[in-house]
Amino acid sequence: MGEIVDIGRRIELVPMDPHGQDITIGLYCQELDEGPAFLVHTYSRFEGAQERISFVVDAMCVLGGMVLTQNGMLHFPCWQEHQMACKRVFLEACKLASSTIVEAPPLKILDKKTGLNITVISDKDGVYQVSAEGEGKDKEKRVAFIAGGLMKLGQMVEVKDTLDKIVFPCGDMHDEMLGLLLIRAPNVRAVLREQDMAASRGVLAAPSQQK
Amino acid sequence: MTSRERVLAALAREPVDRTPACNPTSVATVELMDLVDARFPDANRNPELMARLAATSYTELGFDSIMPVFSIIQESSALGCNIQWEQKDNWPTVRMNEPIWKDIDDIKIPKDYLTHQDTKCVLDAIKILKKEYGDEVAIIGKTMGPWSLGYHCFGVEPFLLMSLDDPEKTKLALDRMKEATVQFGIAQIEAGADALTLPDHATGDLVSGDYYKHFLRDLHIELAERIPIPLIMHICGRTVDRMDYIAQTGFAAFHYDSKNQPDESMDVMKERISLVGNINNPETLFARGPDKVREEVYKNLDVGVQLVGPECAIPLQTSIENLKEIPRALCDWHKEHAATN
Repeated sequence: MGEIVDIGRRIELVPMDPHGQDITIGLYCQELDEGPAFLVHTYSRFEGAQERISFVVDAMCVLGGMVLTQNGMLHFPCWQEHQMACKRVFLEACKLASSTIVEAPPLKILDKKTGLNITVISDKDGVYQVSAEGEGKDKEKRVAFIAGGLMKLGQMVEVKDTLDKIVFPCGDMHDEMLGLLLIRAPNVRAVLREQDMAASRGVLAAPSQQK
Repeated sequence: MTSRERVLAALAREPVDRTPACNPTSVATVELMDLVDARFPDANRNPELMARLAATSYTELGFDSIMPVFSIIQESSALGCNIQWEQKDNWPTVRMNEPIWKDIDDIKIPKDYLTHQDTKCVLDAIKILKKEYGDEVAIIGKTMGPWSLGYHCFGVEPFLLMSLDDPEKTKLALDRMKEATVQFGIAQIEAGADALTLPDHATGDLVSGDYYKHFLRDLHIELAERIPIPLIMHICGRTVDRMDYIAQTGFAAFHYDSKNQPDESMDVMKERISLVGNINNPETLFARGPDKVREEVYKNLDVGVQLVGPECAIPLQTSIENLKEIPRALCDWHKEHAATN
C-alpha cells in the first residue's frame, strides 16, 4: 500500500489522466526559502505512473518556461507563484500524450472567430503588446478582448491607459507561458466554464438535486 | 479509549476522552483510490475494494470511524433501479427518470434483495472490516430510509406529487418501503456494523418541517425501535425546522448540514440526541485550506457538538490535507482546553 506524504498545498488536480491509465495527478505548492515551488505527484503505483509524472514535469518546463530545483521541484525563474498560470500549464501538460514532442507555443495564433492573426510582442521590459493583422473587423475590440483573456488566465495586469498592453505582476518575461495562455485567451469564457465543470464533477448531490 | 469506544460513547452522549472524528458518510477521494488501488465504480461493487478504500478514513486520515457505503444507490440497485455507474471521478446515481414503480402495488422487495451483488457487497465489506478492525474502530453501515427510496424508485417529482395528491397513499408506500430499510439495516448489524447511518432525504429545499412530522416522524420512531443499534439520521440542507421532531425519534444522532449553525442546532437538540457534522463540503473542504477547516471544527467543539466530521459525502476531489486537518484540529482543541482548565 502507498503512503500519504506531506508535500504541500494542493492547488490543482487532474482526477483521471486520459493518457496515464486514469491515474490521479495533483499539483502541489510548497514555500521554499527562495519562493514557491511546485511538485507534480500521484499516489498511484501503477506501472508507468512515475514515467507519466516525469513527462508532465518535463512538459511543464517546456510549456511554461519553468525550471527544476535540485530536488526536482518546478519553479518559475522569477520565483513568483503565478498560480493561475501555473495551474493552466499543468492542465495543458496533462492533456498531452507521453509520446508528444513538446514545443513551446509561438507568440502568434490565428483567431478562428475573426480570421485575424493575433501576435504578442514583448518589449524586453516585461510588457507584452497584443496586436492583430488581417481583414477581420473590430480589430481593436478583439485585441482588447484577447488581452483581457490573458489577464484572466495569467493574473496579468493592464498597463495603465492601454487596452492592448499587459504585464505579469513580477515584471519579468515569461514568453513560453504567455504563448500557452494565448492559445486559450480567445475562448477564455469557455476555459473558465470548463474549469468550473471539472471542479463540480464528483460532488454528490441529494436525490432532489440530481438531474 | 479506542476509536470505537469513543464513537459509541459519543453516540450515547456518554463521557469521552476527546470528541471523535466521525464520518457517517463517505470520505473517499480519487487520491485515496489511487493510494490503495481501489477505484470507483468497482469499489462500490467489490467488497474487498470497498473495504480497502473505506479503511483509509482510519488508517490514513485518522478518523475514529470507517464507513464503507460510499454511495446512496446500493439498495435501489438491488430493488431493480437502473444505475449509472460512472467512472473513477464521479458518483454512481440512480436513473430516476426511469422509475421502476408507478403505484404502491408495484412496491415489492425482491427475494434476492440481500444477496444481490450491490447489497451483498456492503455486507461482505462490513464483515471484512469487522474482522480486521472490529475492536479498534467504529464500523458504520448505511441503510437508506423510505423517503429516499421513494425518490429513487418512483422518481422525485412523481413521489412528491403523490405526497400532495394522496397523503394516505404516500404513507402506505412509505410503510411498505421501510421494510427494505429494516432488512438491510439488520443484515448489516449481523455482518458487524456498530452503528448505521440512515439517510432519508426529506431535504430542506423540497420538504418542510411539518411535512417531516406528518410523514416521517412516527415512521422514524418505528425504525429506531426495530433496528437495535445506534442510528445516525442524515438529512441534507437547512433542517432546524424539523430537528425537534428528529430529536423525538429515538435516533442516537443527527448528521447535520452546514446550512445549520452549530449553536442553534445544539439549542434545539438539548442533549436529547447527539449531533454529527457539520464541516462544509463544497466551499471549505473542497475549495478552501486547512485553516478554514480548523475554524469550522472549533466552531462545533466550542458549542459541544458530540461528533465532528464532514456534513455529507465529500467531493471526490477533496484534498487529503483538508481531511487530515479534521482529526488534527480536534486533538489540538482538546489539548488547548485541557491546558486552560
